[in-house]
Amino acid sequence: MATENIPASSEAIGPEEDFTYVEGVGKIPRDIYKYVKSDPLGDLPRYSYHIVIQHFVTFVTFLVLAATGLTLHFADLWWAPIIMKLFGGIDMARVIHRVAAFLMVVASIYHISTILGGTFYKIMKKQFDFRRTQIPCLKDARDIVHDIKYFLGKEKNRPKMEKFMYKQKLHYIAILWGTFVLVSAGTTLLFPELMATIWPNPRFAQDLARLMHADEAIMAITVIVFWHWSNVHLVPGRFPLQWSFLTGKITREHQIEEHFLEYIRNLDEFPEEKEYIKKVLKEKGFETN
Amino acid sequence: MSLKIALKNYFILFLPAITIMLFMPATSFSADIGNCLLCHKYPGISRVDEEGKLKLFYVNEDIFNNSVHAKVKCDGCHTDIKEIPHKHAIKVDCLVECHIIEPASKKKFSHKDVQTFINKSVHGVIDNKGKEKKFKEDFPTCKSCHDNPLYRPISFFKRVRPGISEQSLGRCRVCHKSEDFIYRSYNHVTTRLHPLNIAGVCAKCHNDLALVTRHGLSTKAVYSYGETFHGKAASFLDERIPNCLDCHVSKGESVHQMLTHKDPNASTSEQNKGKICTTIDCHPSASPKLAKYGVHSEFNLTQSPAQYFFTVFFIVLTGGTLLPLMVIIFLDIVRRFFPNASIGGRK
Repeated sequence: MATENIPASSEAIGPEEDFTYVEGVGKIPRDIYKYVKSDPLGDLPRYSYHIVIQHFVTFVTFLVLAATGLTLHFADLWWAPIIMKLFGGIDMARVIHRVAAFLMVVASIYHISTILGGTFYKIMKKQFDFRRTQIPCLKDARDIVHDIKYFLGKEKNRPKMEKFMYKQKLHYIAILWGTFVLVSAGTTLLFPELMATIWPNPRFAQDLARLMHADEAIMAITVIVFWHWSNVHLVPGRFPLQWSFLTGKITREHQIEEHFLEYIRNLDEFPEEKEYIKKVLKEKGFETN
Repeated sequence: MSLKIALKNYFILFLPAITIMLFMPATSFSADIGNCLLCHKYPGISRVDEEGKLKLFYVNEDIFNNSVHAKVKCDGCHTDIKEIPHKHAIKVDCLVECHIIEPASKKKFSHKDVQTFINKSVHGVIDNKGKEKKFKEDFPTCKSCHDNPLYRPISFFKRVRPGISEQSLGRCRVCHKSEDFIYRSYNHVTTRLHPLNIAGVCAKCHNDLALVTRHGLSTKAVYSYGETFHGKAASFLDERIPNCLDCHVSKGESVHQMLTHKDPNASTSEQNKGKICTTIDCHPSASPKLAKYGVHSEFNLTQSPAQYFFTVFFIVLTGGTLLPLMVIIFLDIVRRFFPNASIGGRK
């Protein structure tokens, strides 16, 4: 099992944060990802096929919803009629928006069922480990500070992060919040006649729904474009895309760089990975067990 | 010269004239009996009046010939002009008896009745106590709304779409024999302003913040309409979308009879507005409560403070989320491009 304890011999490659000792392998330097070889399609499992399907449905429907919704929201801008025509006119765009919204809701329900079901199963099997989940914890805050220091050149290495680092956790919280806001506001807008009879102050409810739906959509789009796309598409080393969204696998280099602690767990789970990293360490002249 | 050669020469002489006539637009054959366009066809024709304002007297023949008044002779409206060249013309009175013999009454047609309606409406300059309203110069005249080029034919046969319905014209032809008459009548009677154009006409006054403030109105009405789903759909030229008149004019009446919402007879009055949304054309199965939705909401601090702060919350949330994330991603990218760079030396 991996350990964070520092053996006496570790002084050869620096302080504790620069390596992790793994029984049967030796001391693995934190920046070993610079020397490993990776399959572009992915080396190590990251997402189940459920998550791959859910992500696929969500991102396709998100793009469709954003395109049809923004076109309606900015109806008075010059490009809006052109895009609307591409969708087959306002009637067709309305149908497309609603079908996409329905599919997104289905994907959300599918996701919640998978996560709750999977968590329950793991708890029953005594395999549940919250460190491998999207649950935020204090360590994430420390990782952000550490990572910013690294970006500024104040730290030698990036922090040792879990399967889901702070970037994914922030994004996941944003998706949970955004989906809740957009679905609830969208439902109010979709059934105006029914909602007028349900809400005690229909005008206020409708006003808020209009504001929430548009403002949250714009927020979601900006976060996706400037945060998610930057992280998974634009950043050097990830450009133009990672195949994880189809294969469900992550490259070895990426796993070690951003999810080091998960990689250490992978070494226990996959003996062949243990042998591989041992070989790399030997080749690079590091001490191994 | 033989007759044959003479005819040939005349034909050659007239050939260019015939060719020009063939390619002249049909609209050029309209009635300019007074030959007014002899002068008024020149775009620069103008003068500076006694108040120092430039007055343009140019008449765009194409626009005029495609307008609903194309068949009216110039002196049909400019009744004071009796000779050419003429002196300063007085302002046209839209209420004069005009060119048409109204078929039902067999009398010369006039728009006088429209003015009678307007006087009783919210847009009349006299209030119900017989007093002149404040800022009466702000109130619309005929020409404030009726701008000839805005008119366009529209088909209501089977589907609402631009243009004239040939099926409808077929019915007219049963009794009416003149194609020109049928076209003009159809154009005049079925002419409608598109929802967007209607909003555009109303916007001339109702989006003017100074005017809105002067008259104590609660909203820039067309702006707030444009923010609703109805307004946005109108931007995409959806003909079925309710425009200003669908709500503000009672069924069976005309825009000229529009009343203030304080009038109990108005379609928008407290007791009547529940019926607006539930008409057969709109939401027939809806509860009258549907009319409680805000159609002219402006989310500003004075009108809707809760909605205003809600908007501010979302702006702060978006900015507060995005800016720190952008800083992190920027630093991440810079670090990857310059792996050995550091500020103040590395640890």
